[in-house]
Amino acid sequence: MDLEMVSYLSKLGKLSFSDEELSKMAEDMTSIIEIMDTVKEIDITYDALADNHNVYLNDLREDVSQPSMETKRILQNAKSSNNCFVVPKVVE
Amino acid sequence: MLDTKEISAKELTKEYLNRIKKYDDKIQSYITVTEEKAFSDAENAQKIIDSGKASPLCGIPIAIKDNICTDGIRTTCSSKILENFIPPYNATVMNKLEADNAVILGKVSMDEFAMGGSTQTSAFAKTKNPYDLTKVPGGSSGGSAASVAASLCAAALGSDTGGSIRQPAAFCGITGLKPTYGRVSRYGLVAFASSLDQIGPLAKNAHDCGIILNSIAGYDPHDGTASKNNTIDYTSKIGQSMKGMKIAVPKEFFANGIDEEVKSAVYAAADYYKSLGAELIECSMPSLKYAVAAYYLISSAEASSNLSRFDGIKYGHRSNVGEHFNELISNSRSEGFGTEVKRRILLGNYALSSGYYDAYYGKALALKQKIRSEYADIFEKCDVILTPTTPSVAFGVNENISDPVKMYQADICTVTVNIASLPAISTTCGYNKNGMPIGMSVIGKQFDEATIIQAADAFEQQFNAAAPVL
Repeated sequence: MDLEMVSYLSKLGKLSFSDEELSKMAEDMTSIIEIMDTVKEIDITYDALADNHNVYLNDLREDVSQPSMETKRILQNAKSSNNCFVVPKVVE
Repeated sequence: MLDTKEISAKELTKEYLNRIKKYDDKIQSYITVTEEKAFSDAENAQKIIDSGKASPLCGIPIAIKDNICTDGIRTTCSSKILENFIPPYNATVMNKLEADNAVILGKVSMDEFAMGGSTQTSAFAKTKNPYDLTKVPGGSSGGSAASVAASLCAAALGSDTGGSIRQPAAFCGITGLKPTYGRVSRYGLVAFASSLDQIGPLAKNAHDCGIILNSIAGYDPHDGTASKNNTIDYTSKIGQSMKGMKIAVPKEFFANGIDEEVKSAVYAAADYYKSLGAELIECSMPSLKYAVAAYYLISSAEASSNLSRFDGIKYGHRSNVGEHFNELISNSRSEGFGTEVKRRILLGNYALSSGYYDAYYGKALALKQKIRSEYADIFEKCDVILTPTTPSVAFGVNENISDPVKMYQADICTVTVNIASLPAISTTCGYNKNGMPIGMSVIGKQFDEATIIQAADAFEQQFNAAAPVL
């Protein structure tokens, strides 16, 4: 896997690497993809319809309102102000 | 002993806490010890015991893998990104253990975000194997397995996405049960790969695993994939005869790459089952050679999506550097995640990205269907399947860690069980020439945990387990 692809995937994953880290990651990803390439050896196709029949699909709760968590508890792990999450300025 | 008042819940708790203080410096299984809570739990448990209404778990000291949310108790996933995270709610399994008055001793180490098989990717406690401190305990539930093996808790909860309960159980000479997908609620388990993750028990034997499963199994409206199938007493078949049980032995699980000592120990266990009247059936799983790739593609694809929630805004590590929104998120994630987690995110993004989706993720889903179908064919002819749990015994703490490919390939014996949503139990079936434990797995039909517990127990009844010397 080349550096350009690793940079692209990093951007998608919101990750940043130093040049040295990026080279090592490209090396690791190349050997990992070699293993993943074994799936190409077998000629089969995914049958989405069969999965719909066989897989236990989401069993949703009734659409009834219930008490929610206190704001204080929701914010207990965040930087907050006036009961809101604090984020960097997004509008100039 | 608790029921007969030979020991009080408080005395038992104190005994385990003393052992943690004495031995955990070298084992490094705990990230957080909750001494105060443990004594308070023990006090409550004693009241229930004294009232004569105790459940089998009442007063039993248990450790919890650090990816299971505990209200008010730090839950790190062994990651710097969650170093100071205090969940504002309990996972459903925690509520169930509390309802049964179990005593919670603390949170135990794991591979970061449950990604690994060594517990050496933990940012806080690189756990060691109690049988040999120069060896890994396995992973990702390495803290759970090592703490049980070293008697630093009576039992533990772990989670299993591709073998993360069974492999460390095998490496540490204990018993680990991965229940059927949907049998135990995942609500409050920090998600790695949502279609594969499952919480389960690790204990000294199959009977104890069954007792814990009795407590934590069941439907949960908070988990859309939790099964509505009725729960049963999972220990109910223990002691029943093995005569006539059909045990399939798939040849691919004994092929090249599996250590000779491991193979012979599992074959010897198969012979023992035969001596009890079980019938051994040869069978085949041709797709096994693609299983590791299929597993890593599916699990990494799901992980890359699940881990996108860690942005440093709502919870978790927040970088001091980043004037703009995206810059802050990227810096928080890059500083917080370890190398293996980053690899999985990149692999997941690759498998899902335009131009590669069909060739990788689509093909992995097709293989998932094929593996499920091969299991279904095998289960038409048998009750359970017997395989090694791992290709080798525990490896050295510095081996394989920098070689992700070697680490991934070592998951060959366990990943298909998660892909097919099956239950499986690993128990010790021997020791190699250096005294390191060898594990075997009994795989069952969906929701048939009772039969695999029966089979594992039948073996354990005659097996002379050797405790580690600390």
